[in-house]
Amino acid sequence: MSGRRLPAQTGESLDRGQPLEFRFDGHSYQGFAGDTVASALTAAGVNVVSRSFKYHRPRGLLCCAGHCPNCLVQIGDEPSVRSCKRALEAGMDVQPQNAWPSLDNDLLSLTEAASRFMPVGFYYKTFHRPRLLWPAFEHVLRNAAGLGVIDENTPEGDYDKQYLHADVVVVGGGPAGVSAAVAAVDEGARVLLIDENPELGGHLRYSRPDAVAHARIVDGQQRLLQSGGTILNDTAVVGWYEDHWLSAVRGNRLFKIRAGAVVVASGAFETPSVFAGNDHPGIMLGTAVQRLLHLYGVVPGHRAVVVTANDTGWAVAADLLAAGVNVAAVADERPQLPVGTDIEALQAAGVTLLPGSTIAAARGKSGVEEVTLVAVDGSSGSHVVRCDFVALSTTWVPSAELAYMAGARSCYDDELAEMRLDNLPDGLFLAGRVAGPCSAEQEWLQGARAGAAAAGNTDDLPIAASQDVQATARSSALVAAPDVGGDKRFVCLCEDVTDVDIETAIAEGFDRIELLKRYSTVGMGPCQGRMCGLNGIRLCAQGTGKSVQDTGRTTGRPPVTPVALGVLAGQKMEPVQLSAVHDWHVDQGARMMVAGLWMRPEHYGDAAAEVRAMRQTVGLIDVSPLGKLQLTGPGVAAMLERLYVNNWQDLRRGRVRYGIMCNDEGVVLDDGVCARLSDEQWYVSTTSTGASGALEWMEWWRQSGWGDGVHITDLTETHAAFNLAGPQSRALLQTQTDRDLSNDRFPYMRARRADVAGVPCLLLRIGFTGELGYEIHCPAGYGRYLWQRLIDAGADFGLRPFGVEAQRVLRLEKAHFIVGQDTDALTDPISADAAWAVHLDKDCDFLGRRALTRIATDGPRQRLVGFRTGRRADSLLEGLQIVQSDDRGKPQIIGWVSSCRFSPTLQETIGLCWLPAALAERSEATFHIHVDGRLEPARVHHGPFYDAEGARLRG
Amino acid sequence: MLRLECPNCGVRNTSEFRYGGEQNPRPTPSTEVADADWIRYLYERRNVMGVQIEWWYHRAGCGIWFLVERDRRSNIVARTWRWQPDGAAAAEGSHSP
Repeated sequence: MSGRRLPAQTGESLDRGQPLEFRFDGHSYQGFAGDTVASALTAAGVNVVSRSFKYHRPRGLLCCAGHCPNCLVQIGDEPSVRSCKRALEAGMDVQPQNAWPSLDNDLLSLTEAASRFMPVGFYYKTFHRPRLLWPAFEHVLRNAAGLGVIDENTPEGDYDKQYLHADVVVVGGGPAGVSAAVAAVDEGARVLLIDENPELGGHLRYSRPDAVAHARIVDGQQRLLQSGGTILNDTAVVGWYEDHWLSAVRGNRLFKIRAGAVVVASGAFETPSVFAGNDHPGIMLGTAVQRLLHLYGVVPGHRAVVVTANDTGWAVAADLLAAGVNVAAVADERPQLPVGTDIEALQAAGVTLLPGSTIAAARGKSGVEEVTLVAVDGSSGSHVVRCDFVALSTTWVPSAELAYMAGARSCYDDELAEMRLDNLPDGLFLAGRVAGPCSAEQEWLQGARAGAAAAGNTDDLPIAASQDVQATARSSALVAAPDVGGDKRFVCLCEDVTDVDIETAIAEGFDRIELLKRYSTVGMGPCQGRMCGLNGIRLCAQGTGKSVQDTGRTTGRPPVTPVALGVLAGQKMEPVQLSAVHDWHVDQGARMMVAGLWMRPEHYGDAAAEVRAMRQTVGLIDVSPLGKLQLTGPGVAAMLERLYVNNWQDLRRGRVRYGIMCNDEGVVLDDGVCARLSDEQWYVSTTSTGASGALEWMEWWRQSGWGDGVHITDLTETHAAFNLAGPQSRALLQTQTDRDLSNDRFPYMRARRADVAGVPCLLLRIGFTGELGYEIHCPAGYGRYLWQRLIDAGADFGLRPFGVEAQRVLRLEKAHFIVGQDTDALTDPISADAAWAVHLDKDCDFLGRRALTRIATDGPRQRLVGFRTGRRADSLLEGLQIVQSDDRGKPQIIGWVSSCRFSPTLQETIGLCWLPAALAERSEATFHIHVDGRLEPARVHHGPFYDAEGARLRG
Repeated sequence: MLRLECPNCGVRNTSEFRYGGEQNPRPTPSTEVADADWIRYLYERRNVMGVQIEWWYHRAGCGIWFLVERDRRSNIVARTWRWQPDGAAAAEGSHSP
């Protein structure tokens, strides 16, 4: 055999009739449909796939299972792709990462020559002095140690998410998982089986073909689908959260899954052992070799050495022999060679078999060329064997991340030299190799048992007895191979951490596993400790003299496998609420803005003209986002008395009053108007942005003792509201209603029901803007119609619609504050110039009473007050600070500007600001606002800037 | 994600709810309560490491405020119930949150 591609065989995933061309590192290669990028590269004879993170050492395929960092490549604009999992596509442009100028000739590999200057934790120790040079060092380091390149011109991906529900979720589609899913579906459960591979079968896909086991998988898949079960292939479960809430990823989709119970049947994976030069390309895990052989018909080389500590390694050796590979030697750590057909075949072929031996060193230029095999106990001499690849099958780790996240404890089994799990939380079941070594038959039986139990069958199933079958050891107990000198011995391949680094870190005092991880960075790379976790713990235990169990393990957190940020970000969705008139605003060219949860017109092109039109004739603004609550019941007035600082018992039918709601600290939470429509029916408005918060606050008190017979109905979304305001508003509105709007019949601060243009409305005669005006509330379904009728009728009156910006100016001209803009989380109504609303004398223990009583007694320290400038001062902005020189001439901050606008009505810049009470009380006092190092003068102004007597409101 | 049993709607994801903090009865009448008690009510949360009775609001559901008895170490919820003037809450000397 000369090439690396074997003849076609059953079970392979290739379509040999469909060759695919692709490029890697500037060269053209060919693979087949069904190949992964890595299998195609291996078949093409490419051994070096990447360069390592720190020392830029050449690295090749190691795990072939999507765990290790060695096969990470850049494909087009996508960085850090695991080439062993990515299906090959025609025309792929694959680039190595972390190598410059090329993979074969990486100049940065010179860093290894300087490795003694880069001890463990070097970035905590070096490059920091002189400080001045750190930015330069940082630039160099960031470029030297990287994982692919982000192309900022890449178009945004198309990501989404899907919610799934199941009684039983089975994670892992191997024999245990399929068996569990079938058992659960037989119990009548809704079952979701999730597997990371394109097809079910788990390790059966690549380990020894077994006709019985394969038939079970095929049969199980059919039964599952026939019984309504769901199978998700190519899907990785990446997180477990409380109450069995799972996250899983397939391609660009994030699944959020609520499971009644979870069966973890995620199997186990191999990890490499620690010996000199253990990172040479060509050194790979036994399961990686089997995947290449059986799934892709590829041999990684022509002369193999197999190192094992269990029977699976012998299967790998026998499979290689059968594939025509020259197996140079098999070393088994166990003192006695096991008995079996695999060994007989190898013995018959004259393969050197070394019991009680293991690998101590590997050497080679760009790939492994020879290895040193030594006796584990040092009793005999070493063997140097030439080879071009090594299969390691020494250590197994249960793929138990989800179980750990769910709260399972790890406990180290010294006899098995493996982590086992105990203390499983309710509703979480293990089956198959994740629970420990087991035979194919045991996997199937354990799965059935776990699946039935997860589906709620608590009967003591007869198959439970099979658990008692003695499991055979499968992992190496060696912490590291005997030291024969030579090359570095890597523990963590992601971050290039060696056993010496671990020893040094422990000697420096980082002797707890969590500290050791953070200091040495062991386990902090792309594999997140999958390859190095157990070795790191064992080395830590050895270095500290503790047991592996007492050393513990680092906390496992989601995600189990890397997840693209786009998957987490999901679709670009920012839901907003739209008023009934939204389309009209857009058609009129309104500039829309997000205000709280709503889209609102900021203006229709010229906010200043909108202000003038409203003051001179009439304007119309859509205020549908206002919180609108209907309160009914005999106890409404009593409840409002307790929730608001104002009086309510004395409010007569048909009247409206402005109210302020505080908490018990006396802080303003919300404001609005309350109308008493009848003795037991009230209509309450809240601020637009605070609507939901105000409702929740009121509901809390209502539902916990203060709601005597009160019902609150939220009309915020079901009702539209418009404010028709301006000197011509009455005349205009009168054309649309039979209700007498004259000042005598419908005076200021009154509420009336009326049909307007045939639409049943509630009219509130109030005046946030300072002119005669009517707030018109109607069912949202009539909103668009009514708005259009008002606009049409307004043509004769000079009506102009206005937006949020004009409203801000109009209310500022009246010096009305806006909760959340002019007030903050410490503002009380007395300081905010609304002491007139606070009735400390009312016969009710209202919210804020104690705090406001105290503030009223002591007097506020800061006050909200108006200011005017006498000029147009566009440099004055909201948020600017107000300063004053202290005794030594140093400027001190004494206040800030909370609202500021140029008033088209007054032709000067005005605003609201917070000042020390003593200064605020002095009308016309001058103070200074700090603008970019300059001081802009302004004068204190008391009361409204416009129509101070409110004659226009009441007229 | 944790789930809670709404007294009206049954078991739902916590993303449907808003947490309202530990149950913190308002001392009344507010103007006659000792300073220390008032400060405790306003600012000092017990923040227990153990079982706590707390408020939740079914924001994306029926709008009920209800009480939850939850072990903050394990997140195990022993029970959830609607506030009652003469029920469990009253037994703790409270007639308001």
